[in-house]
Amino acid sequence: MDSLETFVVESAIASEQEFYRKIIEDNLLSLKLAPAIGRIRVVLRPEDSLFQMVIILRDIGTKVTTIDIADVEAKPVAGEIIISIKKEQYIPELLGKLWERYGKANVSQPDRWTVAITTDKPEEEAAFIKEMMVADPRHRLHENLVDFAIRVTPEGFRVRYHLYKGNNFVFVASEEALKHEWIEEAGTMLEELIEGGKK
Amino acid sequence: MAVLRPYLYTGGVHKHGLLIELLEDLGGYVIQKVVTGTEVNLIMLVPEKDIEIVKKQSDDLLGIIIEAPLTGVEIAVVSPTLASHHLPHSACDVAEYLRHPGANTNMIGLARGMGRRVSLSMDYERKLINEHDIAVFTFGSFSDCIINKKPKLFEGIEIPIVVTGGPDLKTEEVPGADLYVGNIGRTSHRLRKTEEVSALDKLNEEVGKIADGIRKQQAKDPLAVLPARVMKEIENQVPEIHKVLSPAPLTLQLDGLRVKLPYDEFHEKIEKLEFDEGVILSELANISRSKMKNYILIKIKSKSDVGFAI
Repeated sequence: MDSLETFVVESAIASEQEFYRKIIEDNLLSLKLAPAIGRIRVVLRPEDSLFQMVIILRDIGTKVTTIDIADVEAKPVAGEIIISIKKEQYIPELLGKLWERYGKANVSQPDRWTVAITTDKPEEEAAFIKEMMVADPRHRLHENLVDFAIRVTPEGFRVRYHLYKGNNFVFVASEEALKHEWIEEAGTMLEELIEGGKK
Repeated sequence: MAVLRPYLYTGGVHKHGLLIELLEDLGGYVIQKVVTGTEVNLIMLVPEKDIEIVKKQSDDLLGIIIEAPLTGVEIAVVSPTLASHHLPHSACDVAEYLRHPGANTNMIGLARGMGRRVSLSMDYERKLINEHDIAVFTFGSFSDCIINKKPKLFEGIEIPIVVTGGPDLKTEEVPGADLYVGNIGRTSHRLRKTEEVSALDKLNEEVGKIADGIRKQQAKDPLAVLPARVMKEIENQVPEIHKVLSPAPLTLQLDGLRVKLPYDEFHEKIEKLEFDEGVILSELANISRSKMKNYILIKIKSKSDVGFAI
């Protein structure tokens, strides 16, 4: 599936449709979500105070462990573990996990590419760190997706329904109590989108 | 009484004092002076018959002088809420653009202005908006909302109402609005495309016309004293105003001014402000506590109310 191979915004009035498409594009850009989304369809019915959105995500990267982003070396004599970073982008997550496990006092950063940990059992701990999960892009994506949904929804539509299952995301929002058929409609939209998306 | 015209001067800091001195000699007023680095922006009121002299001085200083029709106008830019849906774009863009022709703008985010059925404004908010000269409501992209649902936010607003929104509507279609400007709807990007900027230009132009309309109405029964003159007297008689750090410590309005000093401490001093003619300000104006941050609000009475004008 290509990114944004289907991108449909539907509304009764054509000019409003264009305005809304632009809002969605802008928010996709600012949250850097465009590469993660395969198909998206949004239906707007302002007269019913209704906003429906279904998204099919593309397959995204698997979990990142320490060994993917750094070399881990145990120094039994010095009682230290030296982590040499290869991919800088995950350092915040890595440090967060290390601080939690060893305490800030035992984790130091002699330079930008190196993290040193003081510990009693360097070898065992090094083995653990190697397999430790640093970041889960899926988790981050989920956060962004929820943020995205809230940002693109008209602000007053505070009654929300959402479903996030596998690669599918369904979102319905309204100002009134949600009607059952609105959610069912969104479910049908999702099925159509999975089949290849009409239009 | 001399007719004063609003102008904006932009030029170097070097010798700009000459222009200020000239203005004082001619009986004009400097409303605001903003120094940024080596550049200075002066918003001023110039006596109509002396404009050529001021222009000549400005040319000598190699500055640029342009008309600033919204000088001395305080505008409320009202957005349904202060959530990221409306800010910073487009509400801030609207507010910023209105400042170009000299207006002072305040952003007001309603507490519960969002939505269709549920949107409402509070008494406090309406009073705050009514302290301004003109209210600009920044609405979204759906014509159904703008025509049928949002106008209830205008209830209790007594000043002219300008509405901005996405769709291309006529002013008559929006109940309660004095002006509607399209193409400035809800956006998540900065307004800088040609059609967006021209919509903002149109907004400035039309708001300028509304301000002119108010001025014309005022000319039939002039104010007892010019707001700019009150401003100058406050600067001379209440030295504490020079220590105020807020932007525009004295904000001019078409029929008064806002003094950004605490009411309890300073209102007596302001009420007893003396003019050369021997009158004090409380005879000429209503001085009250502003809804904005405990500031002082001066609304000048008209000549017919007071019986004389100075």
